[in-house]
Amino acid sequence: MGTIIEANNLRAYYITKAYGVERTVKAVDGITLRIQEGEVYGIAGESGCGKSTLLRVLLNAYNPPLTVVDGEVVYHLDGERVSAADMNEERQRDLRWRTLSYIPQGSMHVLNPVRRIRDSFHDFISAHRDVSKAESFALTAKYLRDLGLPEKVLASYPHQLSGGMRQRVTIALATILWPKLIFADEPTTALDVVVQRGVIQMLKDVQQKEGSTLILITHDIGVHANLADRIAILYAGKLVEEAATQTILESPRHPYTRFLIESLPSLDSREERLSIPGRPPALDRPPSGCRFHERCPLAKDICKTIEPALIEIAPRHFTACHVVEEELSHASA
Amino acid sequence: MGAKGSTMQLLKSYILPRVAQWAVVIFIGVTLTFLIPRFSPVNPVDDMIGRMTAFQTIDPQAVVAMRATMEDLYGLDGSLLEQYSNFWGRLLQGDLGPSFQNFPTPVNEIIAAGLPWTVGLLTTTIILGWLLGIFAGSLVGYNQHRRWAQTLERIVIVVYPTPYLIIALVLLVIFAFYWPVFPMTGGAQGTPALTWAYISSILRFGFLPGISLVIGGFAFRFIIAKALSTTEIASDYVQYAELAAVPKRRIVMSYVIRNTMLPHVNDLALSLGSMFEGALIVEAMFGYPGLGSKLFTAISNADYNIIMGIVLLSIVGIATGSLIVDLLYPVFDPRVRLR
Repeated sequence: MGTIIEANNLRAYYITKAYGVERTVKAVDGITLRIQEGEVYGIAGESGCGKSTLLRVLLNAYNPPLTVVDGEVVYHLDGERVSAADMNEERQRDLRWRTLSYIPQGSMHVLNPVRRIRDSFHDFISAHRDVSKAESFALTAKYLRDLGLPEKVLASYPHQLSGGMRQRVTIALATILWPKLIFADEPTTALDVVVQRGVIQMLKDVQQKEGSTLILITHDIGVHANLADRIAILYAGKLVEEAATQTILESPRHPYTRFLIESLPSLDSREERLSIPGRPPALDRPPSGCRFHERCPLAKDICKTIEPALIEIAPRHFTACHVVEEELSHASA
Repeated sequence: MGAKGSTMQLLKSYILPRVAQWAVVIFIGVTLTFLIPRFSPVNPVDDMIGRMTAFQTIDPQAVVAMRATMEDLYGLDGSLLEQYSNFWGRLLQGDLGPSFQNFPTPVNEIIAAGLPWTVGLLTTTIILGWLLGIFAGSLVGYNQHRRWAQTLERIVIVVYPTPYLIIALVLLVIFAFYWPVFPMTGGAQGTPALTWAYISSILRFGFLPGISLVIGGFAFRFIIAKALSTTEIASDYVQYAELAAVPKRRIVMSYVIRNTMLPHVNDLALSLGSMFEGALIVEAMFGYPGLGSKLFTAISNADYNIIMGIVLLSIVGIATGSLIVDLLYPVFDPRVRLR
């Protein structure tokens, strides 16, 4: 399986200017990643680490003040290598929903409140396919049936559905045209755990049915553990670790990832969980060197001045940390 | 719950209370119209008769009849309760008494003569200005950053605070006086008949008063529609539909406009209800034979019966307008059903 989307040294900043004061928030700062066709790629990190910004840029759906200042996003579409920046508006609109799709957070009001669900489906389907109303209704009914959703939601208005049902309908709406690449931004946040389980199962079904690629963004490591094949850990606009899900969960290397995993409750132990000391840095003036050094118990002098590079420490396991790098060089020496 | 059950539920919890509300509003309005002349410190009948006989001679027989009707109408004859019920009795029979100015022509006849002109002129112009304002305002709100949208908005912002009588005056001077393409006063030419000549003359005479009303209504509606759509385009569902590349036309129609319809429909029904007062200034200015002109003449001549008749009509009109809006709410916003 080949790469379907890649980001090369991507830098995306929010550049605002108010009353002559320019402010730059470096939300995505030099991220490189390659996502394989058919995999579930999880992106994790705490609030304000640039997850959603990264997703907007990968989806090629961003507006000022968000600006890509460096690097590029490249799609691999039917063997063709297309840079997101080179696509005209028509090409971009054409790709949406047929190739690239987006599942927003469940608490968002993404369904038109005065339109029946089936009419919303018709709006989205007919935007990309030449179908009559009856055809899109039939298509929608079949799809909902396949996903195990009750058919009566079709004639309902959004306010008549529960939060969990609304989120499932939104997932169906986002994937009705079988997109190759699905971006999901916190799809389970704001839902209770029982409903979360249903939504996770549904995402799995949707992804497996056509072997789509799913890029899943959530702060919830539990959801990643359930769904993702690989996980990327984002910290303050940078990728600090990337590996297979099992590796991240069982043998994380970056100190931040370790804190993240250790903070998860487990069934075997009843001791109190530690939280990560300090708070995430403000991205308009990020710390020098390694962005985590202020909160890192292992930090050395080099961490304060020199930015660590993302290196492959084991097959398909990448991390950006001076301490890990040093340990490795000692081990091999 | 079956379809029949929910219909009954809708009738019971939504329609009936609103119809009751409508009846109460009309009842109070009519009662006030009855009471206000009674609370006047001067005897309105003596005042009226005195004023009418001061500068002109009126047939004594007419004065006697006038006093009788006025006493009856104003509740100065018999006990208060008696007159109140008499007042209602006459009202329900559709009897509004005679006009003082054009005695003994009944007020009904005068109102009936003006009504079609006003209803024709105002229904057309109110609806036209409303529709154009919503479309243009929402389009401009949706395309805020486009050059054409900003230009249009600037023009409307200049027009909006201009009183429509100024617009009417300018139009009158230009198109009826200096460049007489449209007639200066009147409602139509020739004998009323279903001929093209007569109908086209209605359109020709109605054009200038109509266009000044449309411009005024349009500017107001435009500004409201623009403000409403500006908040609407920031909503999650509009943003999501845009992300999904749903055609812009569909987004403007089914997402932006459709979600802002509630206040627009509300305003429309109220302005349609208030049209029974006529477009006072425009009608007076263009000598248009509608209710506005009648009201204008009635006010300057203290023709109380006509004023009361028109006031009653507009009470019923506005109350009915808001009743219709209330009943239409569930059609425009499905969420209203649950409230």
